Amino acid sequence: MKRKAGRKLKSARAKRPRPTRAAAKARREDSIDALVTANAQALGLALDPAWHDSIAFNLRLILRHAALVDEFALPDDAEPAPVFHA
Amino acid sequence: MLETAAGDFAWDSAASIAAAITAGRVSATHIVEATLARIRERDPLLNSFTAVTERRALARARALDEARARGKKLPALAGAPFAVKNLFDVAGLPTLAGSKINHDQPPATRDAALIERLEAAGAILVGTLNMGEYAYDFTGENIHDGPSRNPHDLDRMTGGSSGGSGAAVGGGLVPLALGSDTNGSIRVPSSLCGIFGLKPTYGRLTRARTFPFVSSLDHLGPFARTTRDLALAYDAMQGFDPDDPACADRATGPVVPHLDKGIDGLRVAVAGGYFKGKTAEAVAAVDSVASALGANRDIDIPQAERARSAAFIITASEGASLHLDRLRTRAKDYDPAVRDRLIAGAMTPASLTVKAQKFRRWYREEILILFAEVDAILAPATPCTAPLIGQQTFMLDDVELPVRANLGLYTQPISFIGLPVVAVPAPLAPLPIAVQIIAAPWREDVALRIAYALEAKGVVAAPRPAL
Repeated sequence: MKRKAGRKLKSARAKRPRPTRAAAKARREDSIDALVTANAQALGLALDPAWHDSIAFNLRLILRHAALVDEFALPDDAEPAPVFHA
Repeated sequence: MLETAAGDFAWDSAASIAAAITAGRVSATHIVEATLARIRERDPLLNSFTAVTERRALARARALDEARARGKKLPALAGAPFAVKNLFDVAGLPTLAGSKINHDQPPATRDAALIERLEAAGAILVGTLNMGEYAYDFTGENIHDGPSRNPHDLDRMTGGSSGGSGAAVGGGLVPLALGSDTNGSIRVPSSLCGIFGLKPTYGRLTRARTFPFVSSLDHLGPFARTTRDLALAYDAMQGFDPDDPACADRATGPVVPHLDKGIDGLRVAVAGGYFKGKTAEAVAAVDSVASALGANRDIDIPQAERARSAAFIITASEGASLHLDRLRTRAKDYDPAVRDRLIAGAMTPASLTVKAQKFRRWYREEILILFAEVDAILAPATPCTAPLIGQQTFMLDDVELPVRANLGLYTQPISFIGLPVVAVPAPLAPLPIAVQIIAAPWREDVALRIAYALEAKGVVAAPRPAL
């Protein structure tokens, strides 16, 4: 059955202690930094350490945009448009 | 003010130059010589050209003059000089695409398809134009070739990535230029340089023998100082081409015969919500166009912000895929600002890119529904007039935002689903800014008819800069 497109509903979650906002942010920053390093190795990209912060900044920006798209619910049978025909 | 041997023809349209040559009032050779002289004198200010094809242009001009002398009927753009963004193949030149790396490529062996089609219509190629590196740019700046400069204020950006196209047409070097538009690279320079630009429907004009950026978003189109020139160039360039896999195999739709049909009966609305102007200039431009058209209805383009985000992801991801090998071997030869975005794009999870492509189809269906109610939608082309060259941020709605990423705020959600758009310049002082006239797929005729009517009323015009 098709689900209607739109914002995802928040699922009910068991209550647990929330990490502080600063701690959560620091973990996210660490994970992006680790992602840049790991991806560079996996993709065979030799990065100058001086580029790291700028790449991480751009990756964060892409992922912020991606979160906006990701939160939009689409039905399972939604077809991608990799080559778009108007 | 620079005076040239071509006199008034320096600021004439391609159509009027062709008419003058056809009528024998001036020779094509004279027009090309004067154009080359203007480029020599004025381009050191504008920095719009990266190569001038002088010998080729003069040879074609002489051939055209000889054809006329033999009594041959001349085509619609006979002798009209034009130039192309340097991602178009030009036989004998490496296709730079704004990069240092491509200087090492062998020269192209054949012209891009659109150059061949414009020249078949009589136009004469005079050179290639500066652009943002690999078209990943909204500013018109280039670390290798220097920034193209805005003809209305040389300290300001042209917009990009087709910055040289904006400067060359807006600065009166040529009446016609070609560029590419992946996320706004025709409409942004049109806006900041105060000229007309057409981004046709995705798949309408062949991209054969041009350097790509994001295949599923790349479009090519013309810049000009009049709507009629846009239409003449567009009609000359239409037609299926099996050399571009995305080129649609459908009947051409000539526009020139319909340009002066007027706009009676056309339903025009103003994009609301996300597209509401964030600066006084953007608001004034849309208001003046809407008022002239009697467009007093707002229409909501749903999920436009999300559409921009999806375009952002697809651009980063597909662009990175195109450049991955070069990023492994020649990363230090890129503009760092481009390189770091491409590398980040290469690290974007594929699951998110595919999701953006799925959202794209959903968004397309939603927007097409709107065109049952309206024939065209108005929106600002850029959030502001031309920023200063080198400016990193600007204020929009009291929020400081990076210039480079946000000049395409209003263009990205539209090209994302390939809709045809004509950018029309509102000649505000001291700097112009354009409005997008957005039509349904394959209805370039509607957008161009509206642009033509607005131009006839004097509401939109390409202002002549005091160079």
